[in-house]
Amino acid sequence: MKATPIAALRAAFEASCIAKQDVKQKERGVVLSWPSVPIEIVRAAGLSPILVRSDSSVTPMAGAYLEPGIFPNRLRMLAEAALSGNLSHAARIIVPRTSDPDYKIFLYLREFMRLGIAPTMPPVLLLDLLQSQGPDVRSYNAARLRDLLHELSKVSNRMVALDDMRHEISRANLARSAGRRLVSLRRGMPRITGAEVFPLLGAFWTVDPETYANLASAAADEIGRRPPIAGPRVLLAGAPVDGTDLHSALETRGAVVVSEIGPWGSGAFGADVVCDDDPITALADKYGADSIGPRTPARQLRASIAGLLDDVDAVIVSLPPEDTTFGWDYPALRNLLQNRGIPHVCLSGDSCDPLSAADEERLDMLMSAMPVRTEVRRG
Amino acid sequence: MAEKQLESTVAAAAFQKQWFAELRRRVFDERQPYALLQADVPFELFDLLDIPAVSNQWWASLVAAKRQAPAYLDAMSADGYHEGLCHYCSLGYASTKYRDVQEPPWGGLPTPRLLCARLTCDCIHRVFSLWADAFGSELFEIDHPGASQLPPQWWELGRHRWRELVEPHRLAFVASTLQRLVAKLEAIRGQKLEVEALRQRMERVNQQEEVFDAVRQLIASAPETPVRMTEQISNVMATQWVRGTDWALAHARAFYDEVRQRVNDGIAACPGEKARLMWVGVGLWHDTDFYTAFETSHRAVFVWSMYLAFGPDGYIRYGLDDPMAALASRLASFNEYLHNPPWAAEWIVHQARFHRINGALVLRPRNMKPAAAGRMFIERALEDAGIPVLPIEADVVDARAWDATAARQSVRSFLEKRVIA
Repeated sequence: MKATPIAALRAAFEASCIAKQDVKQKERGVVLSWPSVPIEIVRAAGLSPILVRSDSSVTPMAGAYLEPGIFPNRLRMLAEAALSGNLSHAARIIVPRTSDPDYKIFLYLREFMRLGIAPTMPPVLLLDLLQSQGPDVRSYNAARLRDLLHELSKVSNRMVALDDMRHEISRANLARSAGRRLVSLRRGMPRITGAEVFPLLGAFWTVDPETYANLASAAADEIGRRPPIAGPRVLLAGAPVDGTDLHSALETRGAVVVSEIGPWGSGAFGADVVCDDDPITALADKYGADSIGPRTPARQLRASIAGLLDDVDAVIVSLPPEDTTFGWDYPALRNLLQNRGIPHVCLSGDSCDPLSAADEERLDMLMSAMPVRTEVRRG
Repeated sequence: MAEKQLESTVAAAAFQKQWFAELRRRVFDERQPYALLQADVPFELFDLLDIPAVSNQWWASLVAAKRQAPAYLDAMSADGYHEGLCHYCSLGYASTKYRDVQEPPWGGLPTPRLLCARLTCDCIHRVFSLWADAFGSELFEIDHPGASQLPPQWWELGRHRWRELVEPHRLAFVASTLQRLVAKLEAIRGQKLEVEALRQRMERVNQQEEVFDAVRQLIASAPETPVRMTEQISNVMATQWVRGTDWALAHARAFYDEVRQRVNDGIAACPGEKARLMWVGVGLWHDTDFYTAFETSHRAVFVWSMYLAFGPDGYIRYGLDDPMAALASRLASFNEYLHNPPWAAEWIVHQARFHRINGALVLRPRNMKPAAAGRMFIERALEDAGIPVLPIEADVVDARAWDATAARQSVRSFLEKRVIA
C-alpha cells in the first residue's frame, strides 16, 4: 500500500536520525551536524545530506572523550557514530560553525582520526559561516561556501557550474514554498498538532526537493481540509529542539504547539534564496542570516520571537543543561512576555530525555493557569 | 592569604591598585575614555591610542578574591539567569548590573566608552551585549573564525613562522577586523595610530615575553622552584594588561632579577621540595591559599600554571613587517592553544616534562563550559606521559559550592598515593 504524503514525510524525517539509519548504505551521503549547511551545495555536488538529530540511545564510546554537560545530545550521537565506524561509508562529515560545541566536536573528530581511534571515519570539514555583523563577514562566508563546493566537487568528481547552483537553489526554493504552506496551517486556527507537523517540516533538509515539494503540497491539501484544533497555542523558544518529545508532552496536556524557534520546525524555510547574480553569495547571505543556533545574534532572535507572539497563548522556554546562550536572553524575554500578558514557563531538562518531574510540574502549572478554551480562535 | 615571598609581587599588587585609582580619576575628573575588554583582546591597540583598558577576567578575579562573587551571582540568579551559565565571564556584568547589592571593589567600574570582546564562546556576544546595554556604552565585537588546520608544536611555529600557524583567510579576516577596531579607537581619541608605533610596541612585547621566557627557564631548571605559582601569576598578569609599556618591561626585568638572585642564593619557594605540581586551567581565584596548602605538610609546591608559560609561547611574534597581521596571528587561535585538541594537550604535556612535573591538578570548571572542553584529552595525555592527574571540580569565581577542606584532603590523598609514593 502506498504511503500517504504525511506518512512518507514522517518516515523520511524519522530515518534521518543517525542512530536509526545505516549510513553504510549511503555512499554519497554527507553527514551534517546541524541544518545550517546549504543543502543546495551538497546536492549540486551530487551528494545527499544526512542530518544528525538527538536520540535517546546511549553513547558509551563518545562518553570516554566528550566532557559531560557541554555537548548537546546530537553531537554525542555524531561522535558515537564516528567512533563506532557507523559513518565509514559517508563521503564527508560537515560541521557548521553554528555553536561552540559544534566547533569543538569538529576538533574532537579530527583528533579521533589523528589518534587512530576512528580509522574508518570520513574526512571532517568545518563550515565556518559567521553570524556577526561586521562588513567583512559576507565575503568571508561566501569564500567559505566556495571552498565547500570545491571540496565536495572533488569528492564526487563533478564539475559544478554556477548554473548548476542556480538550478539547485531554484529546486530548494520550490521545496521551501511548499513547506511554507505547511507552516501557514499552524497559524491562526491551527489544523495540525506540532508533534504531527514537525517531522513534515524537518524532512525538508533530507528529502529530494521536488519530492518534498510534491509531498508537502499534498500534505498541506489534506491538512487544510481538517477542522481547526482547539487548545491554547504554544511557542517553543530557548534552545532549539530537533525532535517532537516536547511537542507531545504539551499536546497530551491539551495545548497545541504552533511554532518553534529553530531550523527544524517552522524555522526550516524562511524566505527564498534570492539569486540575482552570484548564487554562492546568495546562499551565504541566506544561511548567514537565517541559521538559528547559539551564535544567532540576540537581537535577531528577539525580533523573531516578538513577531510570533500575536499568534500564541503561551511560551515554553527550553534551557537544557548544556545551554550557555539562551539563558542570557531569558530575563528580557520574560519581561516581554509579562508586558504582553503571555504566560510562560522554563524547562531545564534535555529535550530528548523524558520530562523530569520538575518540568512535568511546571508544564502542569502552566496549563492549569491558562484559561480553558474549547472554541477555536477565528483569525 | 600566604605571605608573599618576592618584593616584585608586592610591587605588582601596588601598581595595579594605583593604576585602577588613576583610571577612575581620569574617567571621573577628566572625562577621559577607557575600555572594558575580554582578556584576549589586543590591549596594545588601546594603550597606543591612550585609551586605558580593564580586563574583564582581571576584574572578575578581583571580585572573586574579595569574596564578593556569591552576592552578585545570587542577584543574577534571582533575576532569572539560570545557574548553568558561565560565571567567570559574566561576573563583571553582574557587578555592574547589580551593584546595589554591595559596593564593588575599589569603587567599582566607571562607565566605559567602549566594550570589546572576541566572540569565542557562544555566550560572549550575549554577556557583552547585556553589559554594554547596562552601561549604555558601545560594543565592538571581534568574530572568531574557526581553525581547520592545527599543525603540531604551535608554540614553536608561532614565534617565527606565525603565518603558517593561522590559515590565510582567518589571518586576513582578523587583521581586517583589527583595522576596523583601530579606526574606531582613532575616532574616539581623535588621533591616528602609526604603524611604526605598533611595530615598536610589539617589539617591546617580545622583549617582555623573552624576559618571562628566561624566568620560566630559571623555574624549570633550578633544583627547587624559586617562586610559587601564585606569585608567578601576580607578576605576569600585572604586566600583561599593560604589556610593552615602560612599567611592564621594567617590572618583568625586576621580577627576573629577583628570581635569578633567589636561584643563585639557593632560595626555594618550598625548601626540601618533594613534589612539583602543575595547575591546568584558570586560577581558583576565591581560594588562592589552596596553592600553598601542601608545602608544609607534603613539601609539594605548585610550579606551573599557564599564566607564565603562555606569555612567551603565545605572544612572541618575530618578523614584524606587517605588525597588524602578526597581532592577528597571535589572537586568532588563543582558545585553541589553551583548550582544544590537539594543541592544548600537546603543549601541556610538553610543559610538564620541561618543568619536571610530578603531578597535575586539572580543573574541571563548573559554570564555565567552554573552558571545560578538551579536558579529557589533556588528562589522558598527561597520564599517558606518566604524569598522575587529579581532577579538581570547582567554580573559579564562586565559592558557594567549594568545599575547601574536602578539596585539600583529596589532594593530600593524591599526593600520598600517586605522587610522593
